[in-house]
Amino acid sequence: MRTQINTAIAFLSGFIMILAFFSANSGIVNFSQNLLTWVTIVGGISLLLGIVSILKVNLKVIQEKGKDWIFKLILVLFVLGMSVCGIVWGIEEKTPFDWLFQNIQSPMMSTMFSILAFFIASAAYRAFRARTLEATILLITAIIVMLGRTPLGQAIWDKLPTYADWIMAYPNLAVQRGIIIGAALGAAAMSLRILLGIERTYMG
Amino acid sequence: MNSLFKIFSSLKALDRRYIFLLIGVAVILPLIFPLGLPLGVTQPSLDLYNRVESLKEGSVVLLTFDYYPSTLPETEPMSYAALRQLFKKNIKVITVTTIPLGALSVMENVVKNVAREYDKKYGTDYVNLGFKYGYQAVLLGMGRRIADIFPMDAYNNKLETLPLMQRVKNYKDIDFIFIVSDNATVDYWVSLVNAQFGTPMGAGVTAVMAPKCYSFLQTKQLVGLLGGMKGAAEYEKLTSNPGRAMLGMDSQSVIHFAIIFFVVLGNLGYFATRKKEVSK
Repeated sequence: MRTQINTAIAFLSGFIMILAFFSANSGIVNFSQNLLTWVTIVGGISLLLGIVSILKVNLKVIQEKGKDWIFKLILVLFVLGMSVCGIVWGIEEKTPFDWLFQNIQSPMMSTMFSILAFFIASAAYRAFRARTLEATILLITAIIVMLGRTPLGQAIWDKLPTYADWIMAYPNLAVQRGIIIGAALGAAAMSLRILLGIERTYMG
Repeated sequence: MNSLFKIFSSLKALDRRYIFLLIGVAVILPLIFPLGLPLGVTQPSLDLYNRVESLKEGSVVLLTFDYYPSTLPETEPMSYAALRQLFKKNIKVITVTTIPLGALSVMENVVKNVAREYDKKYGTDYVNLGFKYGYQAVLLGMGRRIADIFPMDAYNNKLETLPLMQRVKNYKDIDFIFIVSDNATVDYWVSLVNAQFGTPMGAGVTAVMAPKCYSFLQTKQLVGLLGGMKGAAEYEKLTSNPGRAMLGMDSQSVIHFAIIFFVVLGNLGYFATRKKEVSK
């Protein structure tokens, strides 16, 4: 019974959105607009559930002094600390939340991302080999694009950015378009499966 | 010849810590001693700049901050350059984000800093809508009525109390959308907003995202595109606002060159050992 109710809600919600796309009927359009507002409300609550879930999982490990419990303690302290700062003093400029964000969270996230440069260099050195014709073409293309996207490449040869742009605008575009069309067809098929109740994995 | 072979063979076993060290040096040195290499401007960046320049004074632009703090070096300079260009031209700006993690704080800082520079008044010259979860629903819902999705702005003011929002009800009242993004939200802006409501838009994205966006450029769903830090630097140059992206271009040049150097070195080692193995 529970599954049938969930499937019916999914079907009706999706069907109303499809109807609203093709219809000029103000009742249907207004109802679809209400549904969109509900999505943002339910989504907001799901964010809150996410925080509860993080706390529940990590507090259990801390309590049992499990693996890496000290890191989980730091995580929990910061989740609670930033939440309290945000709720009590707000998130505007020069508030404790803003200080924590600007001086801890933001630099840490940028650091995590920038470490990629080191691993890309190391991986490229070890794995990027001209073993086959295809790999050689990929290697040459990568070198042209990488150099063409920098002022140094332009200084070496002023035509390099033009060739890099050509690669992006033609061979790259052809492949990307194929990927986009494939993904869109897949998304349409998946949506239909959900609407018709064939796909039910989203229910957990 | 034999000694050369030995050198190339030993390169195969090069400790990756040396690579890390060289990459670190390649990033830091150009920041301390800038090379001052000339920066060219690509056509997609120029197209975006020209489109924004063609907007009349008093036009309304929706500027999005759809990025996480991890990509700030690439995306934040785009936001700064775009906002400075818009405020300089006395264009009204509405800012919004659909990213839950940190984007609201980034947006708050960028907008307030630039608004102070150009002495812009909140509510009249610009409005910060803040963050709302669920980008597909948010993007679609704003097409009918922005106030349905954002009844209040980022500072809990009712939208109808803000002079700018009294004349901006939905996308029909917005002249241009400037997307700055590091994720798939660009696809949704294009497919949900441009395709359904026809609002013209341009985007600034991370270098990883740029190849995908070329398909939207070709279909003219995006009027222009800034790709990665190079795109950000080009926009800084076009808007005469040299900033962190232009500063970072020397580092990016050297690091790209260093990675290519390592790839070539790795391949020399590979071919040297392969030749030996084949002859055996």
